[in-house]
Amino acid sequence: MNSNIVERLALQVDSFQEGFEILSGAKNVQEMGKRFARILRGNFLISLVDIFYKQNPDGNWNLIYGNNANNASCLNVTQSDNLQINYNVNEKVKICVILPLTDKSLFAVTIGKKLDQSDFSEFDKITLQVFLQLLANAYQSFTNRRKEKNLIFELNQRVLQLNSLIDTGIDLAKFENKNLLLELAIERAAVLTDSSTALVKVISDDKQIDEKIFPPNFESAEIVKSENKITSSFVYQDKEYNFILANKESRSGTASYTDLDQLLLDAIVRQVSTAIENEFLHQQSIIKERIEQEINVAASIQQMIIPTELPEIKGYDVAGINIPSREVGGDYYDCINLGDGRYAFVIADVTGKGIAASLLVNTLNASLYAFLNFEISLTELTDKLNKIIFTSSPSDKFITFFIAVLNAGTGELDIVNAGHNPILLLRSDNSIEKIDAGGVGLGMFDMGIPYEGQKVNIKPGERLFLFTDGIPEAMNENEEEYSDERLEKFFLENKTDRAQEFIDKIVNDVRTFAGNTEQSDDITALYLIRKY
Amino acid sequence: MVTDFNLTSEVKDNSLIIKTSGYINNNGGEKIAEEFNKHNKDTLKRVVMDLKDSKLVNSIGISYLIEIIEKLNDVNGKMIFVNLDPTIEKTFTIMGLFQFAEKAESVDEALSK
Repeated sequence: MNSNIVERLALQVDSFQEGFEILSGAKNVQEMGKRFARILRGNFLISLVDIFYKQNPDGNWNLIYGNNANNASCLNVTQSDNLQINYNVNEKVKICVILPLTDKSLFAVTIGKKLDQSDFSEFDKITLQVFLQLLANAYQSFTNRRKEKNLIFELNQRVLQLNSLIDTGIDLAKFENKNLLLELAIERAAVLTDSSTALVKVISDDKQIDEKIFPPNFESAEIVKSENKITSSFVYQDKEYNFILANKESRSGTASYTDLDQLLLDAIVRQVSTAIENEFLHQQSIIKERIEQEINVAASIQQMIIPTELPEIKGYDVAGINIPSREVGGDYYDCINLGDGRYAFVIADVTGKGIAASLLVNTLNASLYAFLNFEISLTELTDKLNKIIFTSSPSDKFITFFIAVLNAGTGELDIVNAGHNPILLLRSDNSIEKIDAGGVGLGMFDMGIPYEGQKVNIKPGERLFLFTDGIPEAMNENEEEYSDERLEKFFLENKTDRAQEFIDKIVNDVRTFAGNTEQSDDITALYLIRKY
Repeated sequence: MVTDFNLTSEVKDNSLIIKTSGYINNNGGEKIAEEFNKHNKDTLKRVVMDLKDSKLVNSIGISYLIEIIEKLNDVNGKMIFVNLDPTIEKTFTIMGLFQFAEKAESVDEALSK
C-alpha cells in the first residue's frame, strides 16, 4: 500500500468511526442492510446497491435492500468462511461481495457502476474492505446485544419461575376447595412452561373420572393424544391425580418440552399433593376435635352416674373410687340406698372404653335404677339387665357385673356375679372367701340360662372388696401385672380402720407398682367394712 | 394454536387502547402485535394495554409485549398497562417490563399521562 493511500485512509478514520456507529445502532438486520447501502452510496457515488442476507450457507438469499433480486444469481458461495469480492462481474454489476458472519449467516452486496462511470480505484477497493469489516463488526455487536437481551430475558424468566413456584405453593396451601386448587395448579403449570393446554384427570377408586382443563373450552381428548406433552401424577386416598401439559409454545409455533419443564411440573404436582394431604389432615383434626368435644360431654355425663358420695350405713363404713384410663371409662360402681335398711353395692366393667362403653354403662345404670324399684329377685333383675344389654349392644360388647344387696341389720348379702372377677370377702379368721356365683357377663348371650344367686353373711370386722380388673392387670415398665396374688395379699395385710384409707392405700400401691407406665385400664373399687 | 384469547381496540387522542381477555400466550401476543402493527406507530403517542380480563400471561406473550414496547420507545412513544391482576403485575416487574413501560389504575389515568 503506497503512502498516498495510507494518508487518504487516515483522513477517513472519522467517517469509518461514524459508519460503525450508524451500523451498530440498527435494530435489526434489515435496518443494518439499509444503513450499509446508504454508507456505500455516499462514499462511492453509486446508484445501484443491493443487499442480501441469508441465515445459513445452505439457505436462500433474501433481498433486504434494493430492487434487483435477480442479482442473487451472481452470488455463489465458494468459501463460506472467507470474504469473497469479485470485480467487474457483468455489465451491470461491478462489484459482488459475499461477507461471512460469525454466526454462519452471510451478507451479500452487489454494486453497480459509479455515477461518474469511472472504475473503482484501489483506494475505493480498500475503503470498501474497511466498510465490510465494519459491517461484520457491527453485526457481531448486534448479535451480542441480542444474545445479552435473550440472556437477561431467560434469567428473568428463571427468577419468575422460581418466584411463581413459591407463590403457587403458598396459594395452593390456602385453598380448601379441591376443584379450585386443581384449576389453579394447571393454570400455573401451563404458564410456567409456556404450554398452550393443560389437563388434570382425577380417577377415583370406583373409576369415576373428574377433569379440569385449561383453557376450559378445550377438549381433554385432544390433550391426551397430543404428542408434544409432559405428564406427572400421584395417588392419595385411593384417588389417582394425572397432570398433563401439552403443546409447548415458541415464537415460531411449537417447541419441545425440556427437562426443566418436567421439573417445574413435578414441583407443582408435589405442591398439589402436599396441599391435598394437608387439607385432609386438617379435616381429620377438625373431626378429632369434634370427637374429643363429644367425649368430654360423654365424660361429664359418665361422671354424673358415678357417685360423688356414698350413703352412710349404720354399723358399716364404705368407700369407692373410679379412675378412668381415658376421658370416658367403661367401669361403673355405685352404692344405692334401697330403703328398709337395705343397700345395693354394684360394680361393672364394659369391654372396651370410650363413648361406646360409656353408652352401655349409662344403659346399665338407667335400667338398674328402674328395676331396683320393683320387688324382684336379684337373679331375675340380672336376667332382665342381660336381655336389655344384649339387645342394645354390638356382639363384641358385654358387661361384667356384680351386685350385692346388704341387709344392714342382719349383715346378710344377697349376691349375683355376672361374669365379673370374684369379689373378695375377708373373714374374721383372716381367710379370704371368693364370691363368683352367678353366670355369664351381661349382653354376652340371651339363651334363657338363669343366673345363680348366692347368700353370704358379713360379720363385724369382716370386709368386702369389689374391684375391676384394672387393679390386678395394672402393668409396670417390665410388662408385669400387679396380679391377683398381690391384690389378695394387700387385702389381707391392710385391715385399715376406715374404708377410704384402704382405697387410698391400694390405689397408691398400684401406682407405685406401675411406675411411669401409662394406666391402660380403668381402676374401680368399692370397699365395705362391717364395724359392729 | 389453542386459545381463549380475544381483544378489542380503539384509538383515542393518538393513543391505541387494546383491551384483552384470556391467556396472553403466543397466540394472544401475536394478535396484540398484529393490532399494534395495523396502526402507524409514528403517530401513536401511547399504547394502553387494558388487561382487566387477562389473568395469565406466559413468556412468549411477554416477548411480544417487549417487542412492542421497544418499537414504541424508538419513536418516543410508551406503553401503559392498566387493570393489572396482581400476579401479572408481579410477573411484569420480575421480567423488567416496567423499566420501559408504565402502569396506571385506569384507562383515563393512562390517557392523561
